[in-house]
Formats: sequence, structure tokens, C-alpha cells
Amino acid sequence: MLLTIDRICKSYAAFPNPPARVLHEVSFGVNHGEALGLVGESGSGKSTIAKCLLALTRPEEGSITYDGIDVVNARGEDLRRFRREVQMVFQDPYGSLNPRMTAEDLIGEGLLVHGIARNSVERRSRVAEMMEMVGLNPDDMDRYPRSFSGGQRQRIAIARALVIRPRILVCDEPVAALDVSVQAQVINLLQDMQRKLNLAIIFVAHDLAVVRHLCENIVVLHKGKVVERGSREQIFGNPQNPYTQSLLAAVPVPDPALGRARREARHAAQAAG
Amino acid sequence: MQMLHPMPDAPMPKPKRAPLVTAQGLTVDMPLGRGAANVRIVDNIDFSIGVGERVALVGESGSGKSLTARALMRLDRLARLSGRIDFDGTDLLKLPEREMTRYRGDSIAMVFQDPMSFLDPLMTIGDQVAETLRIRGVGRTEARKRALAVLDELGVDRAAERLDSYPHEFSGGMRQRVVLAMALVGEPRLLIADEPTTALDVRVQDQVLDLLDDVSTRRGLAVLFITHDLGVVAGFAERVMVMYSGRIVEDGEVETVFARPKHPYTRGLIKAVPRIDQDLHKLYAIPGAPPPPLARPSGCPFHPRCSEAFDRCRSELPVVLDVAGERVACHLHDPLRA
Amino acid sequence: MTAPAISAPAARPRLNFSAFEIFVIGLVVLLLAIAIFGPLVAPNSVYNSDIANSLMPPSADHWFGTDDQGRDVFWRLIVGAQTTLLSAFLVVTLYSIIGVTIATVAAAGPRWLDEGLMRMTDIGLALPGMVVALGFAAAMGPSLQSAVIAMAITGWPITARMLRGIMRQTMEAQFVAGAQVLGVSRWRLMTRHVLPNSLDVLIVKWAGDIGTTVLVLASLSFIGVGAQPPSAEWGATIASARGFVSTAWWTVVAPGAAVAITSIAFGLLGDIIQVRRDPSLRGN
Repeated sequence: MLLTIDRICKSYAAFPNPPARVLHEVSFGVNHGEALGLVGESGSGKSTIAKCLLALTRPEEGSITYDGIDVVNARGEDLRRFRREVQMVFQDPYGSLNPRMTAEDLIGEGLLVHGIARNSVERRSRVAEMMEMVGLNPDDMDRYPRSFSGGQRQRIAIARALVIRPRILVCDEPVAALDVSVQAQVINLLQDMQRKLNLAIIFVAHDLAVVRHLCENIVVLHKGKVVERGSREQIFGNPQNPYTQSLLAAVPVPDPALGRARREARHAAQAAG
Repeated sequence: MQMLHPMPDAPMPKPKRAPLVTAQGLTVDMPLGRGAANVRIVDNIDFSIGVGERVALVGESGSGKSLTARALMRLDRLARLSGRIDFDGTDLLKLPEREMTRYRGDSIAMVFQDPMSFLDPLMTIGDQVAETLRIRGVGRTEARKRALAVLDELGVDRAAERLDSYPHEFSGGMRQRVVLAMALVGEPRLLIADEPTTALDVRVQDQVLDLLDDVSTRRGLAVLFITHDLGVVAGFAERVMVMYSGRIVEDGEVETVFARPKHPYTRGLIKAVPRIDQDLHKLYAIPGAPPPPLARPSGCPFHPRCSEAFDRCRSELPVVLDVAGERVACHLHDPLRA
Repeated sequence: MTAPAISAPAARPRLNFSAFEIFVIGLVVLLLAIAIFGPLVAPNSVYNSDIANSLMPPSADHWFGTDDQGRDVFWRLIVGAQTTLLSAFLVVTLYSIIGVTIATVAAAGPRWLDEGLMRMTDIGLALPGMVVALGFAAAMGPSLQSAVIAMAITGWPITARMLRGIMRQTMEAQFVAGAQVLGVSRWRLMTRHVLPNSLDVLIVKWAGDIGTTVLVLASLSFIGVGAQPPSAEWGATIASARGFVSTAWWTVVAPGAAVAITSIAFGLLGDIIQVRRDPSLRGN
């Protein structure tokens, strides 16, 4: 296992009420090159898990281990390595990029921070290479985020994360704010990058159809607890947990015949029950 | 030689039901700000919604779907509307503002994406639902009674006790029901729903859609449902209109459009959506992005992204044609193809 | 296959200035020009006494008349502009630097440091500038320098408080979290990511502050605690002309009007910047 989290718990202060439990003993792991989906509705704690995985916040109990490093207490060289090998892409293409930095600055910052490219010429060429890889035109590298569309900004965010060749990419709803036709582009890009760079991906999302498409293994969360975990085939083909089942049953399918059948089944159940 | 609108669009096929709203040549221009010129967001569209019919309006950014819906209620003061919107015999675009207010809430009602921004946090829900009636002169007791009735109808538990509660005491799904109650208490004939479930969790979305389905059938309420989610369209709507860059590119019954989409954009959209019930090796991604209204391509606005575009597409805007029971705006379907 | 480049720069809103804005900006530019170049073009006679011609009313030779020493009032104003405006800029620059430093340390550091610094700031807020200036004048003897120092050390708390609040908010932004995850050092995080995105509001404030500082410095000079005669600083000029209000009104009105116009002009400049930043405030 490349990354393991073991029984992590977290609460938030909710003065004057007692602290609210957000995560209860959540455990799971990710292997090299694996795409893992973390699904749940709002309040399930999935975004908090993402923050813990990225060491942006500390769980109160439990441990997170990355390639031998104790993430929660990491310092110095260990922390530096962790920061180089575990990266993120977040949901909001408008808030996730510093508006005062050019695309080149943004994508190249990781190279600068980790001392990867020795001089600015080499940095620039790596940035250009990365931009091409994600489907952006290197001629645009001197532009600011406001010149780019939502889909392009997400590409910049992905390039920024991947230019330092991390081993795990944590994505928190990376396509939710994009137009449908653009979502497909970014989803395909993530799949491509995953294969090319042998990247492990932890994909946090509420959209089950996207998760099914991208992820070979899935963890289902409900109110801060893991209620079911399994492979794509197991979860979508034969869900065991009632919550998972109700979740799947509620997802709309772009097939009118199915939609109508569902509706009629529901009316029949209501009439009977 | 560039020909714009060389022939009038094909007449709309006889609807199965009596038409409730018919828009003809509807155009919406919006000012850019600081006294600048207007930009055309909705470009000369025709459509119709039948009595009690459930129609979905699908589109991405820049398609004009929201403005089209809002035009039906003349919500945007700054918008310049032209064309004709016939509601049960009256042209809404010709009405003076005072009379238009009578239509709003009464004949046509609207619900939006974020229920919380629509609800006044300082007013009880009972008062807010009753307000629509109070404005029309209905007495306090009567209004309250009808507010309670509609909240009950929409499945708000223990509505009688909660009439005097405040919005923050309700969950997201419940708030959406309250907002719906506010819209329905005036007994409108058309409900416009602008992405009402986009911000909701999937199970809550399912409940709300169910509810809308129920209400629509029971009351004979026509619904215009704006969304970008094709799954929701398939589950809820009888008919779907696909908009792209200010034009309606496809309009037909849901079964037909999904089974045999006629416009390359519609086909692309359907192939781009991942499905929970199927394994797709790779999603089809329509290259490029929807154009901003200021930079609309010449001819057919979709041509730069269309794998089947040919010469005529670059110079000539397609008119809406009658194709196998649907209305489609695409040169591919023109029997007189150049 | 390379994606096509973005063809034209994204539609930047055309910067058309209203007549009002042009007027205000023009006025500020004029004042700055006078402050910079004034003393270079003023005739030497401004520094010499000419008692024979004292307290002459405005005329073709002396546009604003002469003062009690026979010096041309108009040119004294021009020369005094440099002292006045330079001092105001100095004050604002000094307390901005102090304020920004303290705010950055407070926002970036551990909780206890933040709390400690903010308590210090609260104490600082309690000290009004003018009172401290009086104290300094008593201790060091009245001078423009003592007034400037007093204003600088009492001006930083507001800047520090405002900026720290804004920075804390900016630190919640996703791009800051992204930079953290990238491994960006605390220092770079604050200077490259947080600070540049937090200074907007402060710039508006500082523009207006130049105006108020001119007014306060002039007031201090007027009561004898700031610049001393024969300085051409506007407040000092008004102070020395105090006795002649009824007989030679121009000696008081001219510098008084200069102070008023300058502080209003900079204040309006601040407003213009604010409205351009956030058009929803139009009409205030």
C-alpha cells in the first residue's frame, strides 16, 4: 500500500454545543497507480478526509502513513518528500489559482520550490512541455488565470500539480463546476495522466457516474463512517449496504425508458404501501 | 454570399396538447455595462409548451437557457426582448409592467437553484408562502390556510406546527419544498424551474423530482425545467429542447432525442456523459468549449467544434427543420444540402 | 496536437474615465507636480523679507498678495507644497510599512503571537495621533520631525488591524491551500500569495490617508506643535498669519484653501479607486 489511513477521527468545535464528529474511525488504503473513489453526500466527511490526506488539517486520532512516512507528524525532509509526492486538484477553477500569477508562474512554482529545474530557462521549457501534455498552448503561458476558461483553468491546476511528478493526486470534485462537454475533456485528461505517469488517484466526488468511470475501487461514506468498500464491479453491480443501494437507486440515468420504468415502479410501490 | 435566415423556420408540429405558451422569434439582448452596446444572448428562437407538459431546456454556459426562461416572466429589467410570447392568447411582451406583475406568481411561477438566497431569513416560512396571496389581497386567515395546504401537499411534515419556523431551521431539501410552495400557492399554470436540484444531494434531488412529477400530474401544471443534467432530463421530462449559443438546435420528445439524436451537439453531449449503469471505455469529449456570446462564430455557432461540419456550416446559420417529428437546426438534415 | 492559443486578450473592460475622475486625477497630478518641481521654479525672493511690501493685497505682481514679511503668498504656497506633501507621504509610508509588517507576522505566526500583536494594536488604537504629537513636542521640542514621528507611530494600528483581518480571510482561499500542498515555504506563501491579494483595500485607504494626514499635519503646525515658522509648510503659514485675518485675509485663506483642496482631492482619489475596484459601491 502506498498510502494508508487507519481509523482517523476528527471533530469540529460547535460551541455552545459539544464538538461535532465529522469522521469516525475511517480507514482505507491506496496502491501504486490505483484510482480510488471516495463517494458520499454532503456531510459525509469526504472533503475533510481529503484535507487530512494532504496534511492540511490533523485528525485527532488515528494515523496516516505514506510510503513509510507518518504524515500527521511529518517534519523536515520527510515532509518535503511528502509534499513533493502527494498533490491535489480542487473543485473551484476560479478560486484555486492565484489571480496575480501567470500560468507559467503557477505551473512552474513547484519546480522552483522543490529545486527541480536549475534555471529559469529549463523551468520554462518544462512548463511548456507540461502545458502541451494537458492540452494547453504554451504560447499562453504569460497570461493570467482570468484569460482562461473554467476548463482551461482546471488544466492549469492539473499541470501545476503534475509537473513535479507526484505519485498520488488527490482530486476533490475537480469537474463538478465545469460544463458537461468540458467535464468529459478533463476526465479523459485525468485518465490519460494516470496511465502515462502511473499515478495513483484519490477521487473525491458526489457524482457516482464519474466515479464509476474513473475508479477501479470505491469507498462509500455516510456521516463520517465508511459504510461499504469494494471494487467497481462489487459496488455498482452488487451493493450490499442499504445506504449504498439507496444512493445508487437515486442517480438519474440518461435513458428515458429507464426513467419511466423507475417512476412507474415507484408509483406502484406507493399505491401498494 | 452570406444568407441569414433565408427561409422561415419550419412551423412547429401540432403539439399533442393545447399550447399554453408559444414563443415566436424571441430574442434577448443584454447590455454589457457602462453604456456599452447590447450583446445578443438569445437569437430568434421559437418554441411552445403545452398545457400540463413537462419540457426540459438543456444547455451549457452561454447557451441562453436561463435568460430564455427569465424572459417568459420578463424578470430582467435590463434585457431587451423582442418577438412574441403568447400566453393563452395574450402577448406577454406587449403588456405594460403593471399587468405583467399579475401574471407573475399567478399564471407563471419560478423556482431557482439556491433556495436559501430566495428565502428571507427573517420571515417565517408561513408568512413567506402566504405572501404571494397577500399581495393579491387575500385575507390573512385565508392565505395562511392555503399556505398550510400547499406545504402539506408538498410533503412538509408537521406543516401546521412549522408554519412559524424560520428558513434556517430547515434542511436543503425542505427549503426547496418551501420555495416550491411559494411558487405553487398562487395556482400557476406554468412553473419554470431553473436548475432547482443542481445544488442538492442525489437522494434529495430524487425526492424533489418525484415531488415535481406528482404535483405536475395532479395539478395539470406545465413545467419548464432548466438543467444541464441529461439524467434528470430523461427521468423527468416528456420533451427536451437543446440550446447552444443562443439557438435551439434540437427539440423533440425525450425518447426520440435520446434514442436517435439528430444534431451533432446533442449526440456529443449524450456521449460525453458518464453513466452509472454502463462501462464506457473512454468518454467522447466535444473538442473546444462553448463560445462566449461576444465571440460567436459565423454561420452555425457549433461548426468549430463539429466533426461533421462542411462549407455551408461556416457561412450560413441553419434554420429549424422538421425532421422525423423533431425540430432540428442543422444543415446535415437539409434535403437541399448544398 | 497543440491546443489553439487564446486568440485575443480576454475582453478587458475599456477604461473610460468620467469627467469627474479626470478632474480629480488631474488635480492630484498637479499637486504632485507642484510638490516636486515647485521649489525649483520659485523665484528666490520667496525666502527673503521685504518689509516695505508687507501685507499687500492680491495684484498682478503678487497673485495672492504678500504676507507679513513681504513674501509672495502664491510662491510660498508652491514652495510649501513640497514640505507638506512630502511629510504626508513620509508619514503614510512609515506607518504602512510598520502596519504591513505587524499584520503579516500576526497572520502568519502562531495563535499566541497573533493575539499578542493584536492586543498591542488595540492599545495603539487608543492613542490619538494629535495627543501623542503634543507629548512629543513637549519632550523633544516642537518641530515638523516630531510631528511626523508621532503620526507615524500612531498611524500603524489601523493598517495592521485591517490588513491582518483581510489576510486571514485570504488565507482561507483555495489557492493558498494549493500552494501549501505544493510545499511552498511560509515566507513565500505570505509574500507571494497572501499579501499581494490582500493589499487592494489598503491601497484605497492609503490614498485617502494622504489627504487626512495633510490636514492633521497642518493642524499640528497651526497650534505650534509641528513645523515652525519660517517654514513654508501650509499649517505654519496659517499660524504666522493668524494675527492678520481681518486685515489681510489672503494670508490665511490661500494656505487654508490649499490644505482643504489637497485633502479633499486625495480623499476623492481614494473613492475613485474604491469604486473602480468594486462597482457595486457606485453612488456612495
